Amino acid sequence: MKILVSIKRVADPDNASKLKVSSDGTAVTSEGLEWKMNPFDDWSLEAALRLTENAAEKNARVGEVVLVSIGPNDEHTQRIIREGLAKGAERGILVEADDANLDSNVVSQILKAVVDKENPDLVVMGKQAADGDSNVAGTKLAARLGWPIINYAMKISTNDDGKTLEVKRELDTGVATVKVTGPAVITTSDRILQPESVKNGITPADHQYAKLEVGGRYASLKGIMQAKKKPIDQMSLGDLGIEAKVALKYTKFELPPARSGDTTFVESVEDLVDKLHNTAKVI
Amino acid sequence: MSAQTNPLIDDGLIEFLLYDVLNAESLCELEGYEHHSRETFDLFLDSVRRLARHDLLPTYKPMDEELPEFRDGRIVTHPSLPHLWRKMVEVGVLTGTRPEAVGGQQIPMLVHMMATAYLMAANLSAYGYIGLTLGAAHLIEAFGSDEVKERFMAPMYEGEWTGTMALTEPHAGSSLADITTTAAPTEDGYYLIKGSKIFISGADHDVTENVVNLALARIEGAPSGTKGISLFAVPRLRPENGELVSNDVTVAGLIHKIGWRGLPSLALEFGDVGDCRGWLVGEPHQGLRYMFQMMNEARIMIGVNGAATASAAYHEARTYALERKQGRRLGDRGADQVPIVEHADVRRMLLRQKAIVEGSFALLGTAARYADVANRGPESERERAHLLLDLLTPIAKTFPAERGFEANALAIQVHGGYGYTSEYLPEAYMRDQKLNTLHEGTSGIQSMDLLGRKVVAKGGAPLRALAEEIALAVTEARAAGCDAELCDAVEQATDRVVSITMELGQRGMAGDTDGMLGHSWDYLDMMATLVVAWQWLRMAAAARTRFKDEPTQQARLHGTEAAAQYWIRTEVPRISVLAELCRTAEDSYLKAQPDWF
Ligand SMILES: Cc1cc2nc3c(=O)[nH]c(=O)nc-3n(C[C@H](O)[C@H](O)[C@H](O)COP(=O)(O)OP(=O)(O)OC[C@H]3O[C@@H](n4cnc5c(N)ncnc54)[C@H](O)[C@@H]3O)c2cc1C
Repeated sequence: MKILVSIKRVADPDNASKLKVSSDGTAVTSEGLEWKMNPFDDWSLEAALRLTENAAEKNARVGEVVLVSIGPNDEHTQRIIREGLAKGAERGILVEADDANLDSNVVSQILKAVVDKENPDLVVMGKQAADGDSNVAGTKLAARLGWPIINYAMKISTNDDGKTLEVKRELDTGVATVKVTGPAVITTSDRILQPESVKNGITPADHQYAKLEVGGRYASLKGIMQAKKKPIDQMSLGDLGIEAKVALKYTKFELPPARSGDTTFVESVEDLVDKLHNTAKVI
Repeated sequence: MSAQTNPLIDDGLIEFLLYDVLNAESLCELEGYEHHSRETFDLFLDSVRRLARHDLLPTYKPMDEELPEFRDGRIVTHPSLPHLWRKMVEVGVLTGTRPEAVGGQQIPMLVHMMATAYLMAANLSAYGYIGLTLGAAHLIEAFGSDEVKERFMAPMYEGEWTGTMALTEPHAGSSLADITTTAAPTEDGYYLIKGSKIFISGADHDVTENVVNLALARIEGAPSGTKGISLFAVPRLRPENGELVSNDVTVAGLIHKIGWRGLPSLALEFGDVGDCRGWLVGEPHQGLRYMFQMMNEARIMIGVNGAATASAAYHEARTYALERKQGRRLGDRGADQVPIVEHADVRRMLLRQKAIVEGSFALLGTAARYADVANRGPESERERAHLLLDLLTPIAKTFPAERGFEANALAIQVHGGYGYTSEYLPEAYMRDQKLNTLHEGTSGIQSMDLLGRKVVAKGGAPLRALAEEIALAVTEARAAGCDAELCDAVEQATDRVVSITMELGQRGMAGDTDGMLGHSWDYLDMMATLVVAWQWLRMAAAARTRFKDEPTQQARLHGTEAAAQYWIRTEVPRISVLAELCRTAEDSYLKAQPDWF
């Protein structure tokens, strides 16, 4: 099975307090921020790795994961690709583009061009990026490809090398189970990190992955050293025959109002309900 | 502050130390490190950090509260341990520094140290299993025969089994020369071991299926004292016909400890029924020599335990001081209470902790870098690096443990009465920290090692090398524009330390042992104060050079400069007092008789 996984570098969401808005309010500035892999992509990478390995044989690779990242050709983008390779993916593709020229429209165009070149059996993506939180790139890509889209996957199983898949989707109202014939685009929810969320027909069905607390597996030192030898292809939009036309325009950014750190102690449940109702006005 | 949000160690500090102070990237030029780069270092640090914060830290308090149990002759440990052990092995911390031939990736000690410090800060006992296993396997790697390596080292490096150091006996702790466990040779290549050990950490658990004890014992008929001690691999279960069978190692008791509570320390009996087999590691009678050769590494690791534990507590205190509101600034009659960080005395406590924690990491990193150069540097630099490493080891072990304990107490103090409760973490960190002044040679033993052995070795060459290094740092600090008074103070203190050392050395040579060593503790304190001042001067200089023109790094620059100033102004003046105690051989306790106490 060959899976394409898109990964984006985002300003470290744990450092959101350092975010600043440019003086004209039309952009978020990235000065002094640390970059890391979009956590949602980290989950989808975990799902893709599980689909393409035999976990009972020390995670022996039985399929191929190709990473694609779109962004400036700098150390940050390269580093998240290298991190994905260190976790187990086989190859990387870096499509060079300026952040200002990217929106879900352009991104889905680029990913379509990469899919056309690579012919994967599946594309697995994060449901959204932690910076823009737009939640549309996956769906747009599927539309461009004419492939099915399955959003918010929490369980994926296949028995025939990804040709047909059973996917459980996490919805506000419950869990929907869908059967899909590939190729398809899947976006994942954090439940995909659960110990038995992915079955690929090769890893024994009763295998339980270790519980992951907040993200995918950690890159091991061995994996990091192996990743140095794995290729990262670099290409430009021109190489893919794409002209970047941003369709989305940001008109204004504002920082959320500062939260007051005050803590109030309450004497009784009645008091608590009263405070929540009348002071905080949340119930 | 919730445990989950404690950063444990400041990432910016580690980056600064590795790349701006200690030039970790240049280690990639050394033989055997060529395949590394800053990128591999950073990715490794990142993985280990996340493992520490997301997996180890949340289990810290549960492990401190839910103790191991002694049930039916076996020890049952905390249920989260097998999972944590697996993850630590998988990420590569167990074999990270070891060569590829034994499954490692040969990462510099310096980088491995800074990465694993996060695991120690997150959960000292959980990391303890790694530290012990690495120590045991490395001993076999260095000295064992191929057969012993295959049988015992390989399963440890693969993470299938864990290891221990089984040295201490009830009547032989600091004085290992007095151990009495015996080893009787047999015709089948193994020895029959008999004796009692105590405090053996990790000797039984349910984390992995087997444990290999690296035990010191005396072969029958061996010379007495240190020259008759041999090293053996004594597994809990021994491989026999493809199976693991009992090796007559019994747990005689589980020791109730005040810290490191996830890692059981046990009283052990070897050979209760006369069938405990041990396999000799290396040559007969060389056991203590082998141990001593590995000692720098082991002792420095204890120093990292100390720095890491003080760091975790410091970060708790720092956050608490920013959030806790109490009182008003002097002279301010305003209505609102201010965060306690506004009070001068609280700032003193925080800055003191910072000076101890960060000074410790810099010192430990410096020692680790010397270890890297001593092992893999150009031939011409190795000997000097070795001398400096040997000299710094007792200090790098003791300073973070002793002053770390003080920093841990300050973290409680910053929390006020709340710090004295088990609702907050600092009291637990303080209990953990105390062990570091005791195991791997107590602080008292370290002080005698430093003054009685290290500084006087090779006609004083190590001390001369140190004085040269400090002089170089002073020159660099001057060039970087650091406060001239601070530079002068460190320079003068170095002269004082060199001259008193020469004087004490001469006393020793003249046979006046008490006159030389009676104040070994004060000597260690003095030396540690100096080398940490040296580290702070280096950090201040590097920070000026690196951050002066970086708007986003001004807090780091000023914080570094303030801590350097604090240490040199408030601590370095003690050096002349301590030197004076050594010089006059002040005799209050030297003359005190047992019935005076
Ligand atoms: C929690 C814990 C875990 C441990 N884990 C292990 C382990 O895994 N394996 C292992 O082998 N051991 C282990 N130990 C044992 C530890 O290494 C010893 O406790 C230590 O070496 C000190 O020995 P002792 O306790 O017998 O103290 P003693 O040697 O009796 O020392 C008592 C005091 O006397 C001082 N003293 C002793 N001799 C001298 C001297 N010659 N000059 C000056 N002062 C002296 C010491 O500094 C100390 O202050 C552990 C101990 C603890 C508490």
